[in-house]
Amino acid sequence: MRRTLTLIAAAVLLAVAGSAWIARGALADRRAAFETDARIAHRLLSQRAVQHEAILATLALLQPGGGAEARPEERLPALYPQVQQVLRRDRDDTWPGNEAAALAAAEAASRTARRAALAAVDVERGRFWLVQAALPTSYALRIDLDAFVPAGEWTFPRDGAARAALEHEGRVRLLAPGRVDGAGWRFDFAKHLAAESQPFDLQATLRVGWGELPWAAMAAWSAAVALGVAGIAAWQRQRTERRRAQELLRLGQVGRLNALGELAAGMAHELNQPLTAVLANVQAAERLLADEPPETDTARGAMAQAVAQARRASEVLARLRRTVERPEVGAALQPLALGAALKRALDLVEPECRRLGVAPRIDCEATLALQAEPVAFEQIVHNLISNALHALAEVPAGERTLVLQARAEGEDVVLAVRDSGPGIAPEVLPRLFEPFFSTRRGGLGLGLSLCETLAAGMGGSLVAAHAAPRGAEFRLTLKGAR
Amino acid sequence: MNTPASTTSPLIHLIDDDAAVRDSLALLIGTVGLRVQTWADPLAFADGFDREGIGAIVMDVRMPGIGGLALLDRLVGEGVDQPIVMLTGHGTVDLCRRAFKSGAAEFLEKPVNDELLLETLQQAIRTHVRSRQRQQAGRDARERYARLSEREREVLGMIVAGLTNKEIGRALALSPRTVETHRANLFAKLEAASLAQVIRQYADLVEGGT
Repeated sequence: MRRTLTLIAAAVLLAVAGSAWIARGALADRRAAFETDARIAHRLLSQRAVQHEAILATLALLQPGGGAEARPEERLPALYPQVQQVLRRDRDDTWPGNEAAALAAAEAASRTARRAALAAVDVERGRFWLVQAALPTSYALRIDLDAFVPAGEWTFPRDGAARAALEHEGRVRLLAPGRVDGAGWRFDFAKHLAAESQPFDLQATLRVGWGELPWAAMAAWSAAVALGVAGIAAWQRQRTERRRAQELLRLGQVGRLNALGELAAGMAHELNQPLTAVLANVQAAERLLADEPPETDTARGAMAQAVAQARRASEVLARLRRTVERPEVGAALQPLALGAALKRALDLVEPECRRLGVAPRIDCEATLALQAEPVAFEQIVHNLISNALHALAEVPAGERTLVLQARAEGEDVVLAVRDSGPGIAPEVLPRLFEPFFSTRRGGLGLGLSLCETLAAGMGGSLVAAHAAPRGAEFRLTLKGAR
Repeated sequence: MNTPASTTSPLIHLIDDDAAVRDSLALLIGTVGLRVQTWADPLAFADGFDREGIGAIVMDVRMPGIGGLALLDRLVGEGVDQPIVMLTGHGTVDLCRRAFKSGAAEFLEKPVNDELLLETLQQAIRTHVRSRQRQQAGRDARERYARLSEREREVLGMIVAGLTNKEIGRALALSPRTVETHRANLFAKLEAASLAQVIRQYADLVEGGT
């Protein structure tokens, strides 16, 4: 439970952090693109402004002279869309039109500053005059702010997301209204045009709303995190379950051993009672008969008691046999896929193999199957593998091999369990399957005897042999299954 | 249940829930002339047996009602001084160790050989008789020691410490003749015939009492 909560918390944290990182990257990209756009716009506007100065300077220098035929300035509006009108004032003339005073003031300023000067700036209506004082003729251009921006390369379209405006002395002419209201992130850009005669500021603003975040990428990331964490949780759970299953199996084996020990203790008590009585009676009789004179009657009674108690001992054994007699295993035979059964048996001893550094090898065709009672078969194989591992523990780690090899031989299937342990001593071989015979310290000596009984019960056999070049081989033969 | 014929000869208490074992062992023990009282129920035995008598106790480890080891603990805890011999049908080292730790005199495996059992029982009885005699002697010595006067106890302490009459007289500011009188009196009160006997029986009391 605690672990699950930890996993969920970790998943949420990871998803949020990853999404924030993605959003931050996207916002940084947007900002960089916006600033690039703004710089391009600024450069274009500055170029235009400088162009105006250049036009005026050219006119002033050329001094195209009088006469209608020689007035190149009148062709300018056709060449430059932002130039709405060109005015000239010859020496001794006054500026034409109703803005003459403003133009004259600008001309004076221009003459002092020795550069073009602004006049009658009307930001709201989007136009201004640019005056260049010169001799003999001074020129003035009326510039349309809306046409100020070039069409082709302009980066802030009228219907775009960004707002762009020109500002002059607190008055603002919108070039592109944009969509700057609402929640989200706001990027600003403001810069003076690079033309001294036209002190305009380019102001640009971009708002990135919540809706414009890369939700798809963020959702994909979160989903990936959730999937990953769910995978880890599933894997962990599976591992825990497998461990628990193995633990239960091992406990079961220990339990069986304990039960066996309990049975042995009970049997010892049950048998020792009559045996004690037999021995005590016989020895008492011996002593009574040795007396002078011999107490024949009492001795006879003791002998009768001894006989009765010997019978009692034999009854205990008969009862025990009846209790532990196994039901016939032959009745429960069923087809069993050999490869899978061997793998299961090896899984069970996997920790033991790892400890000994043994990598057991299964040599068995996938289709091989035999007639067996699954539990009995598993018990036989488990016993044989356990014996092999015990044997392998007695040889150096580098020389430990364990092979489970299965072959079809006519109607039968023969499973050979072969180890590279010390092998079976010749004098031990004939007694190997005797009950209570064990070469292992503390061994009960029941394992192989039980295996042989089980194999015989399934209509098969179990034999032991030497393996070449060293070790032991146990061959279990059972009927094959079609 | 056999009843003891006399209260002076040693008595073996045999506790086993199995009648055949009980009877056969009783018969066997009887062949060497030892009296046997058999008990089928360990709790009845614990409540009913004669704790003052001389003898030994033989019981199985595995018994109904109360386990042999638990009964052993109870008897030892209650100060029963008869040696206890445990019998078991499935002796393990662990069981054996626990039995000895709890105060068992001997631990034998069933089926038990006659000579081993009988020798063990006779040894146990000899041990018990000696320990009872020592107890009795100690009790008698305490009674006699209690008869001594304060001065006589002082003199006895110095005798035990190995002082001569002259040295005792100097230490207690008495004349050697008076010391001699005290000495004769205390020997008479302690019913002692020799100095060696006095020292053997009363050294512990002197050291413990003063």
